[in-house]
Amino acid sequence: MSDAAESLGGLIEACARGDRSAFRRVYDLQSGRLYAVALRMTRDAAAASDVLHDAMLQAWRRADRFDAAIGNAEAWLLGLVRYRAIDHLRRYGREQTGVDALEEPADPDPDPLQTLLATDDGARLHSCLGGLDDRTRLLMTLAFWEGLSHRELAERIASPLGSVKSWIRRGLLALKECLGR
Amino acid sequence: MSDTIEPPDPAGEYVLGTLDDAERAAAERRLAQDRGFRAEVARWETRLAPLARAITPVAPPRWIWRRLEGAIAAAPPRVPRGVAPWRAVALWRGATAASLALAASLGIVVVLEARDRPAGPATALVAFGQKDAVFVAERLASGAVDVRPIGSVGVPSGRDLELWAAIDGKKLPVPLGVLPADGRRIAAGEIPAGTAKLLVSLEPKGGSPTGLPTGPVLFAGSIIRSD
Repeated sequence: MSDAAESLGGLIEACARGDRSAFRRVYDLQSGRLYAVALRMTRDAAAASDVLHDAMLQAWRRADRFDAAIGNAEAWLLGLVRYRAIDHLRRYGREQTGVDALEEPADPDPDPLQTLLATDDGARLHSCLGGLDDRTRLLMTLAFWEGLSHRELAERIASPLGSVKSWIRRGLLALKECLGR
Repeated sequence: MSDTIEPPDPAGEYVLGTLDDAERAAAERRLAQDRGFRAEVARWETRLAPLARAITPVAPPRWIWRRLEGAIAAAPPRVPRGVAPWRAVALWRGATAASLALAASLGIVVVLEARDRPAGPATALVAFGQKDAVFVAERLASGAVDVRPIGSVGVPSGRDLELWAAIDGKKLPVPLGVLPADGRRIAAGEIPAGTAKLLVSLEPKGGSPTGLPTGPVLFAGSIIRSD
């Protein structure tokens, strides 16, 4: 774990003790990235703002649930934002993307692949994702960014629900084994 | 139960986002209570997080921080790590004498010698694991009990504190009603005989809808007979 990630974990532990200035630092360090994630998932600035607000408030209130010995602080915050974005998508629906649905979500970033490869864990994940078949990799990427349930994924790719569940579960198992944990 | 040959991985599926609404809600309840599940989820979050690292940060609107700042200023005192079971709703639903005994062992109770000589039991209600009293309860000559805050107590908007009596030999606490942040006097007749502890939980506005604590028990104090 990098020094930055370790210190972020320390800041979240300080939040659990009620340290508001630590919370401010967490917000300053992470809100830009987290807001971008919320924007990408909801594709709506107002919704993304609500998602970020709710997730950060949850981070403050549930800071005691973060365990630096097990989890990574960045990943924990990302999770909170993604789960609130999924809540939003499930409640208010998502923009219809029609025939483009099967394509990878449009990414405004210059070279996401290079960014993914830029860190050791990113490179490992990239390599493990590369080991999945195209359909499984697509399903997992769609789920990660759009919060699609098994049923919604099945509708999206016009496949039986049971098959989709199987593919996702096999994909998760393969990733877990490939990542060596 | 599985409807595929592959075993389900609820933690992985929760993190990935493929659970349906009911399954997600169940996973979130489990997260609050099940440390092992929380660890599984944390490991999946860490595995998948690099997917979002490619994203270019975007400055969020300023109002978000301003609103957060207001919200955390009103947040209740933290419940320290290690007492997580007390935060679990399910525990209360099945509360047992043993769990009340657990509360007794977790709560650090400070008994204050009241300057104006209370007529009866006195107790301080403290947050678990902390030394500083948050509320002090004193029995008056009339038999009523005054519960007063020490310093200011923040209650999140849309929530209320609720006071409970834990009675020796009884499994479930008895509700004593909403406790305003600036304290309250409880009439003599409202305090059940045999009350051994006072508890304060965080509840929806207006108090627990179930007659049992539904939110975290934030403060507790043992009644000490001074007579």
